[in-house]
Amino acid sequence: MEFNDYEADQSRLYNLHHTLDKNSADSKNKVKKIWKITLWLSIITIIEVAIGLYCFYNHIPKTIPNVGFIVMTLLKAGLIVSVFMHLGDEVQNMIMTIIIPLALFIWFIIAFLYDGNFWLWINHAFSIK
Amino acid sequence: MSLVAVDKKKVWSGGQSPFNLSYGKIMMWYFLMSDAFTFGAFLISYGTTRFFSNVWPDANEVFASFPWLAPNGGAPMAFVSLMTFILIISSVTMVLAVHAGHCRDKNGVIKWMIWTILGGIAFLSCQAWEWTHLYHHGAWWGSFRTMADGSIAHGASLAHFFSHNVPPDVATGVAGADAAHKFFNFFFTITGFHGAHVASGVVLNIILLLNTINGTYERRGHYEMVEKIGLYWHFVDLVWVFVFTCFYLL
Repeated sequence: MEFNDYEADQSRLYNLHHTLDKNSADSKNKVKKIWKITLWLSIITIIEVAIGLYCFYNHIPKTIPNVGFIVMTLLKAGLIVSVFMHLGDEVQNMIMTIIIPLALFIWFIIAFLYDGNFWLWINHAFSIK
Repeated sequence: MSLVAVDKKKVWSGGQSPFNLSYGKIMMWYFLMSDAFTFGAFLISYGTTRFFSNVWPDANEVFASFPWLAPNGGAPMAFVSLMTFILIISSVTMVLAVHAGHCRDKNGVIKWMIWTILGGIAFLSCQAWEWTHLYHHGAWWGSFRTMADGSIAHGASLAHFFSHNVPPDVATGVAGADAAHKFFNFFFTITGFHGAHVASGVVLNIILLLNTINGTYERRGHYEMVEKIGLYWHFVDLVWVFVFTCFYLL
């Protein structure tokens, strides 16, 4: 294949999926999966709001529920990225070029929240308002 | 996946896309990744400031109003839950448009794009109401600043923003005003930056709809543009999932 072909017709170089039949079983299963994920996203959101309101009305500290909120948020994010954005269907190496840089967030969150906490502590220690 | 059968060395030796993706779609992914760091930096600086503060407004108290039904509070989280639901549904209609594009179903793409655009406009309208509502309670960028003479503009609103266990004199004092000042700076900046993404997404969706109606993608032979704009639209929904958690739940 000539290099010029890359500019001329990219469809030969990767799959553009334009062969899916709307009425095929494959197509119908995909639509069914989309609605199933919608249901899950809605259920998780409703659970989150219900827990939040339960804690609010009963004056319960949200320390433990907060862990649940973060887990449920990551679960929702995973469903959106892998199914709605079709990242789950991509080549493994492509997935890794997205996921690995995002690992920086682990350091980012820990370092900055620790820093905020430290400044609160030092302000208390030296009675700075 | 046809690439699996190919020798791994040959995947990178030219003549095919190693990721089985077009340049445009790969670049959309990397743009979104960089945008994720921008939003991440915003939300983490919000978290740092919150950890740094003695008191912090309670989202259940701040966001307790609903248009017409509860304009003066009493419905915590109701309106923001509705906004979240609208954005999730518009993300679903977008993925259905992408699916219709895979099937080269022009009318399907048109139908689902119209729903997606309506969802985006509905979300922006909700946000406009929420911003206006908060503005009328004195909240804005730079609000609740303590003046040199010790007075606080709209200081009476502060009592409504904090949880029951924050003593009223703390809530309406310097500590409460300072926390509310920071809280609303972050709130308007982050939801504003997100809203700007939604607004530009709606514009892109409208262009996409017009191109589809004109048959641009039919002539091109594929609806990949729906996938690329779709990625952006889902990302906007994804960011809202995190904004929702950080501002309203935690």
